[in-house]
Amino acid sequence: MRPKSENQNLSTTSSSSISDAPSSTSIDPIFLILRILPFSFLRPPRLRLKIPTFTLPSPMTVYALVLLTYFMVVSGIVYDVIVEPPGIGSTQDRVTGSVRPVVFLPGRVNGQYIIEGLSSGFMFVMGGIGIVLMDLALDRNRAKSVKLSYASAGITSVVIAYMMSMLFIRIKIPAYLR
Amino acid sequence: MVGKVEPVNGNVKSGSNQSTPAATQAATLKSDLLNSLSLKSLKLKTKQQELLIRVSILCLVYVLAFMTRLFSVLRYESMIHEFDPYFNYRTTLFLTQKGFYEFWNWFDYESWYPLGRIVGGTLYPGLMVTAAIIYWVLRFLRFAVHIREVCVLTAPFFASNTTLVAYFFGKEIWDSGAGLVAAALIAICPGYISRSVAGSYDNEGVAIFALLLTFYLFVKAVNTGSLAWALASAFGYFYMVSAWGGYVFIINLIPLYVLVLLITGRYSMRLYVAYNCMYVVGMLLAMQIRFVGFQHVQSGEHMAAMGVFFLMQVFYFLDWVKHLLSDTKLFQAFLRITVTCAVGVGAIALGVGTASGYISPWTGRFYSLLDPTYAKDHIPIIASVSEHQPTAWSSFMFDFHILLFLFPAGLYFCFKRLTDATIFIVMYGLTSMYFAGVMVRLILVATPAVCLISAIAVSATIKNLTLLVRAKNKAVSSGSSRGTSSAKGSSKGLIDHSQPFQRNGAIVLLLGAFYLLSKYATHCTWVTSEAYSSPSIVLSARGAHGNRIIFDDYREAYFWLRQNTPPDAKVMSWWDYGYQITAMGNRTVIVDNNTWNNTHIATVGRAMSSYEDEAFEIMRSLDVDYVLVVFGGVTGYSSDDINKFLWMVRIGGGVFPVIKEPDYLVNGEYRVDKGAAPKMLNCLMYKLSYYRFGELTTEYGKPPGYDRARGVEIGNKDIKLEYLEEAFTTSNWIVRIYKVKPPNNRFCNGDCHGCRILVPCFWMMKWLKILRSSFSFRMKYFLE
Repeated sequence: MRPKSENQNLSTTSSSSISDAPSSTSIDPIFLILRILPFSFLRPPRLRLKIPTFTLPSPMTVYALVLLTYFMVVSGIVYDVIVEPPGIGSTQDRVTGSVRPVVFLPGRVNGQYIIEGLSSGFMFVMGGIGIVLMDLALDRNRAKSVKLSYASAGITSVVIAYMMSMLFIRIKIPAYLR
Repeated sequence: MVGKVEPVNGNVKSGSNQSTPAATQAATLKSDLLNSLSLKSLKLKTKQQELLIRVSILCLVYVLAFMTRLFSVLRYESMIHEFDPYFNYRTTLFLTQKGFYEFWNWFDYESWYPLGRIVGGTLYPGLMVTAAIIYWVLRFLRFAVHIREVCVLTAPFFASNTTLVAYFFGKEIWDSGAGLVAAALIAICPGYISRSVAGSYDNEGVAIFALLLTFYLFVKAVNTGSLAWALASAFGYFYMVSAWGGYVFIINLIPLYVLVLLITGRYSMRLYVAYNCMYVVGMLLAMQIRFVGFQHVQSGEHMAAMGVFFLMQVFYFLDWVKHLLSDTKLFQAFLRITVTCAVGVGAIALGVGTASGYISPWTGRFYSLLDPTYAKDHIPIIASVSEHQPTAWSSFMFDFHILLFLFPAGLYFCFKRLTDATIFIVMYGLTSMYFAGVMVRLILVATPAVCLISAIAVSATIKNLTLLVRAKNKAVSSGSSRGTSSAKGSSKGLIDHSQPFQRNGAIVLLLGAFYLLSKYATHCTWVTSEAYSSPSIVLSARGAHGNRIIFDDYREAYFWLRQNTPPDAKVMSWWDYGYQITAMGNRTVIVDNNTWNNTHIATVGRAMSSYEDEAFEIMRSLDVDYVLVVFGGVTGYSSDDINKFLWMVRIGGGVFPVIKEPDYLVNGEYRVDKGAAPKMLNCLMYKLSYYRFGELTTEYGKPPGYDRARGVEIGNKDIKLEYLEEAFTTSNWIVRIYKVKPPNNRFCNGDCHGCRILVPCFWMMKWLKILRSSFSFRMKYFLE
């Protein structure tokens, strides 16, 4: 820490000198007025402010953001914004007259309700993350129990995601694969 | 082989008489023979074996990509599908018959009557020239093919070529294993098949090949820094510009990619050479296409490329100055000043250009990609096309299946190993997926990126798993190998104990991966067969006993037009059918699919939605002889003109405020039964669709006049036509053609019962006519 404190001393001395130097040579009228009016009796605190530097985020941070936008796009968020379908559909039972919810918009391939889109998008992302977990499980520099849990979580994610996606598409399009 | 056997037998015969050393010699000779018959003794080294496997896989994938697109040719016949391909076919026919100069300078007076269309300057010639070249080459080799066969099979041929380019691209980004998987995935991916099936003779068929080729050549140029590859990518860009309007995607993605490389600090001489050469030469070549013209320097959509071009020069300049200067502080100050100046000058130039009007703003088609709500409010023609609707999750699933899981996994692998090439494919994938979410049609552009990234995921995962499976001998030497750094950054997969369990687990996972890929293949084939192989011009349905019934009404109607109307007859219909009528019916049309003149289309829309007498005035001013409508009430066909009618009202009302959409709706609902709006029940479209329909019983147990497409009984069954007469109705009532009657010879309508009171009747009729025309005097506007 010593070099830093030295720098601080140097910076305080130099800052005082620097603060004196431009004030004596400045031709900015507003600066001169400010120097007289509040700051002749108010003492500004010594702050160490830096111009914020722009550092690039790490690749994995960017990957997390990308995954989030992928989830939104694949859930059909543009369709939701433009066509404005209801969150969940409803149908009236002919016999009893009660209103039952319908999750999947029937009849068309290019149509959806909001919740149906979001749940399918979640399944896709879960499948992707499952494969990523399986790759993480093969990394050497982890404890064995962690690797085992990553591998099992990855495999179950992929299996569940695939089965649910198949189920969803079969509900939506009854004639699928027949 | 017989010659070979005999000496062995001879040796064996002689050997059996001798002692055992000869017998063993005979045995070794026999085993040599057996070995020479097996593959191993072809003495192939591992490299050559690998080459053989790769080449055979690529050949199989090439044939597969061609074969899977042939469903409709086998089911129906070799014909052109849809609407747009008919125009492309007609222009290709013209090109092969009249030659290139006639084609380039062609003014077509048979469409958009009375305006005509400058065909040479308003189309992208790449597709037509490609098909014509293939036709001329085959003719030169004395294969007497018809141009229609060449047109039908152009798209599958280029799809096969795309798989080859995908292989090389995958090899460039990752390794050859990923390239092979990418080729196999893209060969059967439904997102690509939907627009490149045999018979779909449309620009996208060759454009996707050109797109992938340009991207591959550019990435190769950036990786190698060679001028030759950069020039090749410029020529690939030229081919893309000549083929499709989607070249705007390339000219915006590549500058964006260069910008990202500059931001992440990957500026290098290779990038400089590649981008400069590609931009300058590509831009000059693109200006050779008349339809594009000077847009590369005048249009707002192309300004990003120019901005990045100048930014690259600034970077090079700064690099050179840094090389000259030895003082870093001075250089920092110089850097700050230069960057500020450059950005300031660029902003001022852009502002001046836009304000003075020299740089035109983004056109509606591309602006609606950035702001998807724009088209719905402002441009109904763009919003009405069904392919331009935003995408729902099920469309993604239909077109991609497993690739939707593999895409994020592939992105992870790309982010783990960032190189210039992987950054490119990540950007291509992300931007194209966003655009695919905005418009269904653009799933096509996203397909190569999704296939490539998924191929990376598949290749990396299977490589990991096979490393586990083959790790049986390395368990002993794991201690020594730990010291050495392995090829990939994190050494993989060698756990000390539980060795066989891990190996079995890896085998199970491999089988699981192959199972998923086989389900992908099944899905793709099913989707291709059921959904994407229908030639919209021929409809099919399942009959009561499960047999397939074919409705060929469209072609029936067009050929009736061709054979039963005078050659200079003009046909008015909605713009969807214009290309087909010109190509197959060979008659002049008023509006067609090019939709370049919104006012002309609005005039037709106004005619369709007005009362019969007003519509007759409009039709007389346009010289219309026949009117064609499509009606699906008898067959239950749901893409007919009554279902499209509200778009006619909206487009007509957009130009002529006298047409108001609420007039045709009841409580915001669109109905055609008894409760429909009175204007709806008497407009021209309703009358032409339902003329004589009230007498027809369409379904057992329902009243006559039951519309099967809307599911209701129509409201106005007693329709009388005053100015038109029915000319032809196809066998399933799908297409109905009406003849416009010439105006009356005398002012009288003819039902004056002998007309004894001639003179006062004459004056009364004249005043009635003046009164009527004064109410509709605004019709004169569309003559200008």
